[in-house]
Amino acid sequence: MSSEQRIRAALFYIALVTFLLGLPFILSSSLGYKFNRRTFQFTKTGLIAIKTQPQGADVYLDNRLLNDKTPTNINELLPGRYQIKLELKDHYTYARDVDVAQDKVTRLEKIILFPKRPDIKQLNKEKISFCWIDEDRNIVYYVNPEDNNIYKSDLNGEHFEKVANFIPLLPLVKKWKFSWDRNKLLYFNAHQIEVISLDKNNEEHGRDSAFILDYPLGSINEIFWHSDNYHLIVVADNRIDILEARPGSIPVTLVKLNKKNAYSFYDFRNDAVYFLDSQIASDGKAYDNLYKLDLFTKFYPLQEFIKLKSNELPKD
Amino acid sequence: MSSQKIKRCLEIIPGALSWSSIAFLVILAILRPVSCAILIIIFDFYWIIRTVYLTTLLILAHRKLMKEKNKRWLSACQHLSPDKKWEEIYHLIIFPVYKEGLEILRPSLEALKKCRYPRENMVVVMAFEERFPKARENAQILEREFAGEFFEYLSTFHPDGLSNEKRIKGANATWAAKLARELLGRKNIPYDKVIISCFDADTCVEKEYFGCLSYHFLTSPKPHQSSYQPIPVYNNNIWYAPSFARIVEISASFCQMIESMRLEKFVTFSSHSMSFKTLVDIDYWPKNMISDDSVVYWKAFIFYNGDYRVIPLYTTVSMDIAYSSSFLKTILIQYKQKKRWAWGVENFPYVAIRFLHNRQIPFIIKIKRMFHLLESHVTWAVWAIIIVVIAPLPILLGGWFFRQMPIGYNLPLITGLLLNFTLVTSFIWIILSRLTLPPRPKDISWMKNVVMLLEWVIVPFIILILGSTPALDAQTQLMSGRELEFCTTEKMRKVV
Repeated sequence: MSSEQRIRAALFYIALVTFLLGLPFILSSSLGYKFNRRTFQFTKTGLIAIKTQPQGADVYLDNRLLNDKTPTNINELLPGRYQIKLELKDHYTYARDVDVAQDKVTRLEKIILFPKRPDIKQLNKEKISFCWIDEDRNIVYYVNPEDNNIYKSDLNGEHFEKVANFIPLLPLVKKWKFSWDRNKLLYFNAHQIEVISLDKNNEEHGRDSAFILDYPLGSINEIFWHSDNYHLIVVADNRIDILEARPGSIPVTLVKLNKKNAYSFYDFRNDAVYFLDSQIASDGKAYDNLYKLDLFTKFYPLQEFIKLKSNELPKD
Repeated sequence: MSSQKIKRCLEIIPGALSWSSIAFLVILAILRPVSCAILIIIFDFYWIIRTVYLTTLLILAHRKLMKEKNKRWLSACQHLSPDKKWEEIYHLIIFPVYKEGLEILRPSLEALKKCRYPRENMVVVMAFEERFPKARENAQILEREFAGEFFEYLSTFHPDGLSNEKRIKGANATWAAKLARELLGRKNIPYDKVIISCFDADTCVEKEYFGCLSYHFLTSPKPHQSSYQPIPVYNNNIWYAPSFARIVEISASFCQMIESMRLEKFVTFSSHSMSFKTLVDIDYWPKNMISDDSVVYWKAFIFYNGDYRVIPLYTTVSMDIAYSSSFLKTILIQYKQKKRWAWGVENFPYVAIRFLHNRQIPFIIKIKRMFHLLESHVTWAVWAIIIVVIAPLPILLGGWFFRQMPIGYNLPLITGLLLNFTLVTSFIWIILSRLTLPPRPKDISWMKNVVMLLEWVIVPFIILILGSTPALDAQTQLMSGRELEFCTTEKMRKVV
């Protein structure tokens, strides 16, 4: 027998023995069996499959550190409850109790390990009391209450610059609202509305960049910019008015409301105001109804409507 | 039962075993996914062990090839004891030719001329098929070029349509061998001093081939009861062949190297040599079986009542890689060639019937050899299908319940482990393939080296197409009783 054939024979027997010895272990492990050294019996086990985002977390099983990092499977677990703890540097520890059943896979596969020091960046370069984000144009606006200025930047805080100043209102401002074209900004409290022009070209027409409109007719709940970016729809506690965004503008009442602080909504695309109001029915009881006030200007120019309304309501 | 019915039954057995194994696993995957998964895991584990074992054998064989291929064998012959006279040995070399042109045949004859062995001891027979119109013209050209180069040079023309013959290589080789026998008789050369080598038309032998062959013939305890098998490599056009074909043929070559280490299973394949006396005694090659290269071994094995063996020669014979002008055509050619190799399954009924009638061969030997024959062909026909197609079935068909079980979770992991092992094996194969590669021709860019490394990534694709399907196809055809038509493999040669 040549030396190659002797080596080959040895290899064959090594392979055969490896197969015969390895197969029971591989099969029993695949089927979830584990040899229980206490009882000297094969016991059916379960396994825990763990995946984390990000990967590479240390895995503790009942406070015992395992060799593997996530993603991993903890095989051959006798049925019972186990404590799983996952640790990753600079991330919050994840821990929970897991029930393992025989012949079952318990999956922990949607675990997110959150970083302890999130990547936070301050965007404003001035003191601010309020801000809002124009998603369409990727602009952040900031209100500085100390110098009464409005600033803007991009979404990363770059290109930080002043865009307008404003007159502070008292009592406190309820809301800030942009016109649809983003060239004007209004804010209001219960009886005053301030309109700020963000479009520097407007100043060419001799208009003030900011002016205040007094509203003594009621307590303002909500204001909508009309789609023409010039008129304001004011929803007060007892009426819905419309007025022009110019100094000295006089409100025109569109609807008188029975219900105070009613819900309202302005549909920009269809120029319609939806509002909730109550009405006394024939049974003498008050019922809430949702109304739609159409301001569609193509067929009935708002400008004309307002002129007409200020003098006399049209007859049917 | 008539012998014809027994033959039909035996022809059905390999295909039936392969198909029933596949069908059984598929049905099991549907009805009992856990049981199917257990069988697949057993198979996967077996395949991993087998892959490691066979790759180690490949390394050993390769090491031996590197050691022996450039040995000065003629000098070794000269140093043998005086009773072993190498000078008395004649080499009868037959090239069965069909449509192969001069660009294929010339290099084969040139390689003979370059051998470090006296050409006065070589008798070369170019065995043409008469039905090929250009046969005589080619024969004349070659005769003019090579007739004076050897002890004898003979062109034979195998007539078409002889009774009890099929249009196959064995019939042509037999016709040529019989004519050569007459020639040797006229020259008073005894048959027992003649070693016959039957080479495919594109076979180019190494310089030391005949020295190595003579040495092993002279030192073999039973030289006439042995065949001599060189390592076939496909180096003739390896730099020009497309990646797909190259990988397939390198793998085939490596498989043959592995087989050379498993002597108890080793059977002749493709180009090989044997005693001419034995060839005459066993009545030459089969004239109606396509796998003539292996059947001739079995004929001798049965003739000598099991006392016959194949001696590996660790020297190479280089052949052409089969490929064509387009990728799809190449796949088709490779598929046909592998199917023809897999048609070796026809040996099973052939051997089984003769074993039934032979009382001299020990029963245990018969069982072992039949088992090896059957196991190798059935494994060939199912292994890739089990790994690629059936292994995912329990997971796909087993549903949520199966996937929740440990075995459902472990099955893909173990299959993945198998693939990783295949990758490691591939690395070894890549390294060995680089070591057996002939020098890069000048007209080939160095970038081809990079391509030849990267092309191994297509191995899974090759496994899918050529892993098992040609063998399963061949077995199915044998099952159905339809004969395989012999067609020569198309080969493209750019002369290197």
